[in-house]
Amino acid sequence: MARKTDIGEREQRVTQKTLHSVDETLRLPAVTPPVTYPIETLVPQVRQQTPAVGQRATRSDGRMHGLGQTRYIDDLAFPGMLYAKIKRAGIASARIKRIDTREAEAMPGVMAVLTGREIPVNSFGPSLKDQPVLADDRVFHAGDGVAAVAAVTEQIALEALDKIKVEYEPLPAVFDPLEALKDDAHKVHAPNSNVYATKIIKKGDIDKGFAASDRIFEGRFRTQMVEHVPLEPHATIAVWDPNGRVTIYSTLGRITLGRADVARTLKMPINRIRIIATIVGGNFGGKNEITQEPVLALLSKKTGRPVKGTFTRTEEFIATTTRHPIIMDYKTGVSKAGKILARKVRLVLDGGAYCSWSETTLGKACILAAGPYNIDNLLAEAFVVYTNKTMTGAMRGFGAPQVCFAYESHMDDIACALNIDPLDIRLLNAFEEGSSSPTGQVLQSVVVKDSLLQAAQRFGWKEARS
Amino acid sequence: MKRRGRGIACMWYPIGFTVAANPSAAVVKINEDGTATVLTGTVETGQGSLTVLGQIAAEELGIATDDVHVVSADTDATPMDTGAIASRTTYVTGNAVRLAAGKAKAILFEVAAPMLGVKPDQLEARDRKIQVKDYPQRNLALGEVANHAQVVMGQPPIGAASFNPATVALDPETGQGKPFSTYVYATQIAEVDVDDETGEVEVLRIVAAHDCGTAINPMLVEGQIEGGISMGVGFALQEEILFDDAGRQINPSFTNYIMPTSLDMPAIEVDIVKSFDPTGPFGAKGVGEPTAVPTAAAILNAIHNAVGVRITSLPATAEKVLAAIKAKRAQEPKRIAARARQPGS
Repeated sequence: MARKTDIGEREQRVTQKTLHSVDETLRLPAVTPPVTYPIETLVPQVRQQTPAVGQRATRSDGRMHGLGQTRYIDDLAFPGMLYAKIKRAGIASARIKRIDTREAEAMPGVMAVLTGREIPVNSFGPSLKDQPVLADDRVFHAGDGVAAVAAVTEQIALEALDKIKVEYEPLPAVFDPLEALKDDAHKVHAPNSNVYATKIIKKGDIDKGFAASDRIFEGRFRTQMVEHVPLEPHATIAVWDPNGRVTIYSTLGRITLGRADVARTLKMPINRIRIIATIVGGNFGGKNEITQEPVLALLSKKTGRPVKGTFTRTEEFIATTTRHPIIMDYKTGVSKAGKILARKVRLVLDGGAYCSWSETTLGKACILAAGPYNIDNLLAEAFVVYTNKTMTGAMRGFGAPQVCFAYESHMDDIACALNIDPLDIRLLNAFEEGSSSPTGQVLQSVVVKDSLLQAAQRFGWKEARS
Repeated sequence: MKRRGRGIACMWYPIGFTVAANPSAAVVKINEDGTATVLTGTVETGQGSLTVLGQIAAEELGIATDDVHVVSADTDATPMDTGAIASRTTYVTGNAVRLAAGKAKAILFEVAAPMLGVKPDQLEARDRKIQVKDYPQRNLALGEVANHAQVVMGQPPIGAASFNPATVALDPETGQGKPFSTYVYATQIAEVDVDDETGEVEVLRIVAAHDCGTAINPMLVEGQIEGGISMGVGFALQEEILFDDAGRQINPSFTNYIMPTSLDMPAIEVDIVKSFDPTGPFGAKGVGEPTAVPTAAAILNAIHNAVGVRITSLPATAEKVLAAIKAKRAQEPKRIAARARQPGS
């Protein structure tokens, strides 16, 4: 009991201190408080049982989380560590005419300033290398970073950003993906077309299929841009050591590829880079590629000190990837009984300013667009276009939640028009073991009908029917 | 008044990358006391993947979850991994861990075979013992064998392996091919209340029946499903990044970017659909992303069922739903009059 009181009192003191005297933005390196909870390993019995597979074993990191002892990147501090901040363009399409960093560099407490021109290879991306680490010549969306500062406190770094003067020449821009498709549209990455990847899936003969259909249904569906919103924002600490090796603590979900990207942008051998991802506080696809890692590494190299950068919530929204908005046109031919005989799908994905994971999203969306249904005659086409907006990339489902919203809304419209129960029309068309997918793949371990029936039974679908 | 509706949506979703190689490698070291250490380059991002990988190694070695410690996510210390993406960790990294554990186990069997007077292929590892198949009374403690292997025989039981899903490239003209090694399936059914005077949608209940192959850890599968549904609810009803005319985001903060809180969450009932994929570790496939896939579709179908309007663009905000209800009423003056005479019907 006494120990509990200690924790309570300490927390109260800390809270009051935070509220009344400490400027939150100063963020001095944290000092670990003395341990006041009992250190003992209480292993839940289920973790001791064999066989291990199928056990409802508690997580190996659960106790650390429960005690608040998990160290995320922002909880880490190194002696002499500096804080980095990145200046965002705030303009969607422009040429950078001049960046004047002199006033910022002269500020007391500012240890280094970095611009895109100082980055050895200023481009990256999981497929197309079309994204600059920091914009040097052109700005393609408002969240582009244009310069970075390392200072002794976050507050000084933020103030220094305001002292950096960037002169822009505004350029035309395009924001609507359907506009961007047009021939005379502004070319985001001139001179090439705004369409930077396409995908097509063809099976059977859709003309024959539509001709044989009793009814034909059409619909257009659209989805919005959303963020992953992990609780933990992107955070990185870079430590450049005197041996010329750099250690990067980062919230990356893919360290092997992150290391290759850092090596490429810094023009360094891979074995001189070490990336450590601690426990990451949520990814959902948003932490699958590098963001500020090369910037912090170079700032650490310039200053000889560890440099930490933690994105603000606003940066999470404007400067990291988001989910692709998709415009989805569906046309489906069915028999009177509700059997799908032909389907044509056209998808236009808003790719934002850079490719990122768009090719993967495009492919998955196109392959999955027909739904888990046996359709002999299918044509699915997908295009992804550049716009001068926040880049879209990997996000939980890679286009699948979007196309599922479309094909399942469309399915219910068909069921409603034919007066068939939505469950029955799905059971009539659903894949079975050995079904052929839209790409002609023979499917195994197919349980879509089981899942329909199991969910319907649990819900009471047939009983609730009115 | 509030009108109740229900909507169903099913989906399919692949495990791993589209055609592209996405290997994982793993190292498994059995310690002198029969506990084990797994080295993996994947990253724990909150989903519990390290616990699942530990369970897979434990299963292959015949030991318990707590006997395995998983070291992860350090490029100097752990082998390459394509990472926490594409719902691939349980399937791809899991297969690599299982194969690596199998190689380490083979060293133990080599050492144990003469001790037990049988051939290595007659042995199995179960309940922290190495025993003769079909004659379990003849056995040795796994820790004893591990110690003997390392300290006496000079053969430390370590295994390294990698796995990459089998795919066939897609034809560029027709898109025909085998883009993924395997797929998972799921159905979600949503029950909603729609207020036809305000357009507000409340999700009351979601029943989710998901296939993940063998559930290595059913509790973590349930956690993934509940998390995915919360993401799906936001996608369906609330979340949207908005831009001004100059292409700048106007709501990049929690003040104006509305997402579901615990109070917006429906009651969730989870069913894990029984299935077994022979290509996965112990029949497992994956569950991460698919949990967020059918939720919005089910909710939008439930809205249609409740008030008869089809919202074709997400999110289905109260404003959008109300506008659709009003537009529908404008088209059907007779039905409105009939309803007005019978309030509450």
